[in-house]
Amino acid sequence: MSHHLFLLSPSDTPLYSLTHFSTKPSQTVPSPLSANLPSWSTSAFAGTLTALSGASSVVQASTQGGGVRMGGGQDRHVIQMIANASLDVIEEVVRRDNGMYLKSVDKFNEWTVSAFVTPGNMKFVLLHEGKNEEGIRAFFTEVWELYVKVRTMLNPFHTAHNAIVSSVFDGRVRASARKYL
Amino acid sequence: MSSHPPPSRFSLLSPTNTSARFSLPSAPSITTATTGTPKPLSRPNIYDRPLNKTRTAEVSASAFAFLFSEVVQYMQKRVSGINDLERRLNTLGYRIGTRVLELMVWRTESLSKAPKREIRFLPALMSIHTNVWKAVFGKPADAIEKSVQNEDEYMIIDNDPVVTRNISVPRDMSQLSCSSFTAGIVEAVLDGLGFPARVTAHNTPVNDFPLRNTILIKLEKSVLEREELFK
Repeated sequence: MSHHLFLLSPSDTPLYSLTHFSTKPSQTVPSPLSANLPSWSTSAFAGTLTALSGASSVVQASTQGGGVRMGGGQDRHVIQMIANASLDVIEEVVRRDNGMYLKSVDKFNEWTVSAFVTPGNMKFVLLHEGKNEEGIRAFFTEVWELYVKVRTMLNPFHTAHNAIVSSVFDGRVRASARKYL
Repeated sequence: MSSHPPPSRFSLLSPTNTSARFSLPSAPSITTATTGTPKPLSRPNIYDRPLNKTRTAEVSASAFAFLFSEVVQYMQKRVSGINDLERRLNTLGYRIGTRVLELMVWRTESLSKAPKREIRFLPALMSIHTNVWKAVFGKPADAIEKSVQNEDEYMIIDNDPVVTRNISVPRDMSQLSCSSFTAGIVEAVLDGLGFPARVTAHNTPVNDFPLRNTILIKLEKSVLEREELFK
């Protein structure tokens, strides 16, 4: 079961992203649509196509595949697209929901999108499968603290629009992902 | 009190006297102990530091006054006029405001189960008047006013602003308000919360308060339209 985290600046520039493979068992339900789709790919977009149609069990014989099973919905570009698409929904919810943690704002095939919006309008977007509300809440709270530290410990070398490249930040986020997700 | 120094001196001397011979072998063990601690030169990581406010972390007002005076001097050499200077002070405040907002809300909300943000304008303005002012200047602002002529204008009034307490503006620059710095902070906080506005500072002295300053907030149209929808 994998998780994808994106940190986006107030102007929606991606500042940081993380893919985390959880060791905890997943309870995803395979989409019935996937069985009806051919497993061969004819064009460069076939992967995207199968992914969008909900096929998560298609084995792609792509160049980066090798022996690794690349589920259609696990493709990097598809993940990014789902995350981007959810931003519209987040923008809408942010205006009327006064909580920072917005649970399950959007759903796409097997993916659920949860988000966390800081007071400074920084968005944390997490794509996950299955339900884990409390864990995600705790995870977001820790990421928030780390983010406040990277941003606000009067660090003059960081503004809202710089990508976060700190290896310590990365390590800490990974550690809390292992802990909660 | 007078009996205190002798015992302590004795206690310091007696071990060195008795173990004078072993001072050489014992010396290396001390040095290894100091080098044994992991990298004394490496700076503490900012991620290990707690973010909560402590008494000892507060800075004296004079340190700030000196720093701010240097800031104004530095900028004055590099600008073409009063407007330019005010704009620069505003930009400087903006950068601080974004940080103040995140840190301030983190301090109050991070322990709660469901942290909240302000989504309505008036509560947000109230929180600037009290919370932001307290976090930055240690006291709430003195008043909030709404403009009678223009419904998109709000004012935050400070009778004795900390920022300009030690500043006397020369007569030929009487238009200048160094509180533009504060205006920048307010603008950043409003922007962060999703209420884009143009914020400026104006000197509005009255008899009792010669330093009285008004922070004028001119909201963007979209904010007013959204507030209408909430009603």
